[in-house]
Amino acid sequence: MTAGTDAGLRGAAAAERRRLARRSRWRRYRVAYAFLAPALVLWALFLLVPVVSVGGLTFFEGGFLQERTFVGLRNWAGVLGDTVARSALTNTIAYTVAAIALVFLVGGGLALLLARAARGGALLRTLLYLPVLAPMVVASLIWLFVLHPDFGIVALALQAVGVTPVNWLGDHALAAIVLLEVWRGTGFYAVLFLAGLLSLPKELYQAAALDGAGRWRRFVHLTLPLMRPTLLFALVFGTISNLQIFDSVYVLTGGGPGTDTATIAWYIQQSIFTFNKPGYGATLSFLLLVVTLVLSLAQFRLLRDRRRRRMR
Amino acid sequence: MARSGLLTRAPDAPAGGGRVARRDRRRARWPALALVYAVLTVSCLAAVIPFMYVVAAAFKDSAALFSYPPELVTWPPYLGNFTALVTEHPFGRWLLNTVVVTLTITVAKLLIDSLAGYAFAKLDFPGREPLFVALIATLMVPFAAIMMPLLQMMQGAGLVDTYWALILPPLANPIGIFLMRQFIEGLPGDLDNAARMDGCSELAIFRHVVLPLTKPALTVLAVLHLLNQWNSFLWPLVVTRSQDMQVLTVGIASLKGLLRADWGLIAAGALLSMVPLVVLFVLFQRYFVAASLFGAVKE
Repeated sequence: MTAGTDAGLRGAAAAERRRLARRSRWRRYRVAYAFLAPALVLWALFLLVPVVSVGGLTFFEGGFLQERTFVGLRNWAGVLGDTVARSALTNTIAYTVAAIALVFLVGGGLALLLARAARGGALLRTLLYLPVLAPMVVASLIWLFVLHPDFGIVALALQAVGVTPVNWLGDHALAAIVLLEVWRGTGFYAVLFLAGLLSLPKELYQAAALDGAGRWRRFVHLTLPLMRPTLLFALVFGTISNLQIFDSVYVLTGGGPGTDTATIAWYIQQSIFTFNKPGYGATLSFLLLVVTLVLSLAQFRLLRDRRRRRMR
Repeated sequence: MARSGLLTRAPDAPAGGGRVARRDRRRARWPALALVYAVLTVSCLAAVIPFMYVVAAAFKDSAALFSYPPELVTWPPYLGNFTALVTEHPFGRWLLNTVVVTLTITVAKLLIDSLAGYAFAKLDFPGREPLFVALIATLMVPFAAIMMPLLQMMQGAGLVDTYWALILPPLANPIGIFLMRQFIEGLPGDLDNAARMDGCSELAIFRHVVLPLTKPALTVLAVLHLLNQWNSFLWPLVVTRSQDMQVLTVGIASLKGLLRADWGLIAAGALLSMVPLVVLFVLFQRYFVAASLFGAVKE
């Protein structure tokens, strides 16, 4: 009997302990959720809800000036048959590919050079980084002073050597916008790549040099594979940000001449404000979302470090 | 072989011994090094000359830009562009709006991000991993793609053309949570555990133990948000209607749309809107580079 009471008491004590433990656990969880609450509420409201709702909005039209009405697949049919939407898509992708390729080449080249310039490196880095500080709108306005056919720096330089200046924004507008991104972005990528280069293990290079590997082979077989994480980050970051190109198009060309520099983000803004077709804008938004997600996930898959996976 | 040169030497510089050998190599290398500096100098000039040209244009009457032969600098400097910017255009108001919006967002984000980062790094709760993965996944969402639903939301709430509309949506960006979690996770665990043993509440631990240690990360984060907001254009453009609510980027972009482009005015506006960033850069250069590098290192 005493044994029974003991067991009962022990059981009651254990239950009480469990109850207390549960309560203290829930108190701990409550604290954690309280810490998270502001961030999660704002994130859900202003990021998650818009992302989830943008797909549904493609089936409606209106909502700003007129009543919102259900239009079924009309927006999608419109986008598929719209030559402006098609050139916006091809321009955006062409711009992104060209800008990333150039910025990787120039930024990567400068990073390799900066890694060898021990003296004065800090000053050179700072000067190269200066354009990164200009907001895209300001950089675009500055670009007008570079490319203007009458008083632009390029025109003045060409005149000085007797070459007829080019009307950049009229005849090579997309190239002009790509070059703006190269001017403004190169410093960022150069500093990024330089940080990656300087963190590489030097012992490997010494060993490779002792084994008689030349500069080129060390670059291809050591630098490039070791830099893979940095390159992948730069590629994904560059893709996501360049696919959204809007500021420079809005300031420099307004999508023109014709639709030569129409981009998806520019066309979204135009659909809503110039053409008063927010549902059409939502459809283009969904398109931009899908293109961005597909491209960045493809990059992750293609460039993931295969060797590390094999080692596991 | 001396190891002192390791930090300054390029990663692919060959290893070798002996002072004489090194001197020979240096002698053999100097034309290559001269080429390196030549290319770097030209690149720096390409980066800087447009700024100098715009500075010169800001101190010129617009007509002087078209003079032939072109004069690079006018003397005495013409200040009319700057007075026009303040008297004929609400430049002061644009600046004020940008400063209010930028500072509010930065301060709010520092608090929100470090609270959430602390929870993800040090606290245990159901759903921690999936929530964090969901947050990170939305880093890939381009803002232009959610602008339209956001705008509709703001219009529904009657917030279009207010500070609320300028400030609230940018607060959703999860990048800072990611940064703070990474940093707080790297802090030694003993400190907060010791405080927990002593019966400190989590809020007290966060406030008195963790927060003082995160100053470097907070500075990087502040720079990141300041830059993002100062540069922000698309959202302020679409969510403001009146000239009184416009921010700097929107305001100076509108200068180009005037009936007859006043180039001196545009140059002055571009120049003035960059001054605060350049000052900040000079003061916090270290953190600027860290802010742009963040992520690359963490991959």
